[in-house]
Amino acid sequence: MALINVAAREIHCKIVYYGPGMCGKTTNLRYIHSQVPKEVKGDLLSIATETERTLFFDFLPLDLGKVRGFQTRFHLYTVPGQVLYERTRVAVLNGADGVVFVADSNKSKMQENVNSLKELAQNITRQNKRFAEFPIVMQYNKRDLPKEVLAPVPTMDHFLGVTRMHWPRVEAVATVGTGVFETLRAISRAVISKL
Amino acid sequence: MDPQLTSIIVPTEELRHIEECLIRLVEDTGSDYALLLDKSGQVISSQGDGDRQDITALGALIAGVFASSREVAKLLRERDFRASFQQGVRENIFIALIEEQWILCIIFNKGTHIGLVKVLTKKATDELASVLERVRQQHKARDEVLGSSFRTSMEDTIDLLFRD
Repeated sequence: MALINVAAREIHCKIVYYGPGMCGKTTNLRYIHSQVPKEVKGDLLSIATETERTLFFDFLPLDLGKVRGFQTRFHLYTVPGQVLYERTRVAVLNGADGVVFVADSNKSKMQENVNSLKELAQNITRQNKRFAEFPIVMQYNKRDLPKEVLAPVPTMDHFLGVTRMHWPRVEAVATVGTGVFETLRAISRAVISKL
Repeated sequence: MDPQLTSIIVPTEELRHIEECLIRLVEDTGSDYALLLDKSGQVISSQGDGDRQDITALGALIAGVFASSREVAKLLRERDFRASFQQGVRENIFIALIEEQWILCIIFNKGTHIGLVKVLTKKATDELASVLERVRQQHKARDEVLGSSFRTSMEDTIDLLFRD
């Protein structure tokens, strides 16, 4: 849940990028970090293995400046995607105000996407939050994959229940930044609407 | 609205109580720093020597460590680890949980005895738990605090800063 500090006139929101291993969560944060103005961003903190796979989380604080007198801060986190780190994901998800689910558009990754989304639903519910009302934005990443392996958007919508859940959905190529800020705008708006 | 999704609003007078409590803890233990964090890793208040620039990152990491140790506790069929201690060569960190919602963290050097930190932290967590209880019971409307036009202004800011 968001934290509103009346005395310091500050608002903090936590946004978590969730999804299966190698789907591009860290790439999203790296791109945001490389593009936002210097006065907005803090350091990008990564706790990764030697092979650059996320071990615990990546963390990027964004300071949006004063909005109606309130200093507004968004803290972006990624979870480690590998199946092995299920409990670590629970830990990072603690107290999140919104989630970006990064799905891999590779046909062969569809089952991993579905499993990860199911796990997210369980973890949100375990925090005593209603999954259906929780702010979620779906990002279909890697839309630049060759046609032979690229899953069509309607197929992904069907498998991930996007139409049924009314989640905003963004097509992206995070490596070059396509859709990255559209996703961030969508989740920020969704989180603010729940403040 | 789902109570879990409503924001925690810390009013001015309660923040003053929190600050007083942290300052007392730092003084009485001779610690370097005391931090109060929300479980999501956000810093509610920090008191101590000097002007640390890394407070935000510190908050995120400490909350991560604590959330991770909670999962370890579950695997051990332990309800929770209420406190944890990290010992360095120069600096030590003692972390205590307040009512599943806040985390109190004290950074101290070898000049301070861990026993004293533990005792006084227990006192401080009790005090902060009652602050948290009062904060939870206040049902201030969001609009009362933020003003009704906040959301529109916020959306404009988001569009301005997060553009391609």
